[in-house]
Amino acid sequence: MSKDDARPHRGVLAALARLTGRLGKGLPAVGQTPYDEVWRENKWRLLRFRATRPAAERWRTPILLVPSLINRWYILDLRPGKSFAEYLVNAGHDVYVIDWGTPTAEDRFVSFDDVCQGYLGRAVRKVAAASPDGVAHLLGYCLGGTLAAIHTAANPTHVASLVALAAPIDFAHGGTLAQWTRSPGFDVGALVDGFGNVPWPLMQASFQMLKPTLNLVKLVSLVDRAWDDEFLDGFLATERWGNDNVSFPGECYRRYIQELYQDNRFAAGTMRLAGRPARLDAIDCPVLAVTFEHDHIVPVASAAALLAQVSSPDHAQLHLSGGHVGAVVSRKAASTLWPQLSRWWATRDTDAARGLGEDDHPAAEPETSAPS
Amino acid sequence: MNMWDHWKKGFGAWETATSAYLEQVLANPAVLGPAGAMLTAAMKTKAATDKAAHSWWASIGLPTRRDQERGLHKLNQLESRIADLEEQLAASRRPQ
Repeated sequence: MSKDDARPHRGVLAALARLTGRLGKGLPAVGQTPYDEVWRENKWRLLRFRATRPAAERWRTPILLVPSLINRWYILDLRPGKSFAEYLVNAGHDVYVIDWGTPTAEDRFVSFDDVCQGYLGRAVRKVAAASPDGVAHLLGYCLGGTLAAIHTAANPTHVASLVALAAPIDFAHGGTLAQWTRSPGFDVGALVDGFGNVPWPLMQASFQMLKPTLNLVKLVSLVDRAWDDEFLDGFLATERWGNDNVSFPGECYRRYIQELYQDNRFAAGTMRLAGRPARLDAIDCPVLAVTFEHDHIVPVASAAALLAQVSSPDHAQLHLSGGHVGAVVSRKAASTLWPQLSRWWATRDTDAARGLGEDDHPAAEPETSAPS
Repeated sequence: MNMWDHWKKGFGAWETATSAYLEQVLANPAVLGPAGAMLTAAMKTKAATDKAAHSWWASIGLPTRRDQERGLHKLNQLESRIADLEEQLAASRRPQ
């Protein structure tokens, strides 16, 4: 279908009627790549994807995908043919993902250490155990990237490399969200004491307030492209994910806001995880920070700050156009971001076994690369 | 250019201006301060009400909802601790 055909020449009412008919068919299926559940503890699960077709090559080091704590994991496996996880397994990677699950009332006591050291640590060890070298590549998306970086800083042993995908690191550059949490009237203690787990509708409302006109913009593009079935499927799948959020375990949220958003301890080098120092300069594995030009949730400066302090000589920034979600799941991501990440991991596959040194790595192929 | 394209162009201009204005408003301390204070006051009231209800419930010797949540959380912690010990045991049995 040409771009011109997609425009509602047939009238806005006809477009709305078509959208209503399309919505009547139900939302598109998501998270369709087959997987095995390899571990379950409290509410979280560790899932291992199965390839849907044979791969030309098989990489030795497995990859662990760490999604945000407040979003569902299937953003990384959105739709068949449009799935990051499916792309990776079909490219010969052994891919795992954490499903954080849905916290219930008793999880108000789950702490930041429980999540970042206990649960994430177990997942890393389980995945690393599947590798002949006892290590795993770690990719964290958004808050998942922050957790992955903090965990790696305190426990570098099993981490072969770290990819932080739109992950906030320096909260001094945290944008409007950081401004809100630092405003004098905001009392995170009262919020957690009152709610227990911080309800997802409250967090979703705050994200929507970052771009108050975004829903209107979405509506207009929906009418504009009402005859573009591929666009509609992608849009509805992303919206399904965007409205299927998870509440934040209360005690974990308290420390997350106080130590990261308010005190910026990780960037300042004063954070501790389960009693261990979690300093950025302790990260010496290959590091890639992926940032997006129009990310209104995680500003580029906040995400790119990871590179300024890590001690690894093999570190780079991959800066791409697009927004916080679209740049990860769009058609463009499938032809730019995903292949670049796959190549980045492939060239860092079991260095020890292949006898590569740190200087032998080809750089990532960003649109604009800014190694620091 | 048809009518829809004209309308869309106007909408785009309105959206750009409105979005920038609203972002400024929502980041303004004069808005953030009172909004945060209202949320905090509502939460403190809720926490105080819950506490009073729990105290009354506990005074007749019954476990409160919070007690049950603590109990369940302890069970979850115990499950994690057992998994830790299993990992350590497996590691100690692995040939060096």
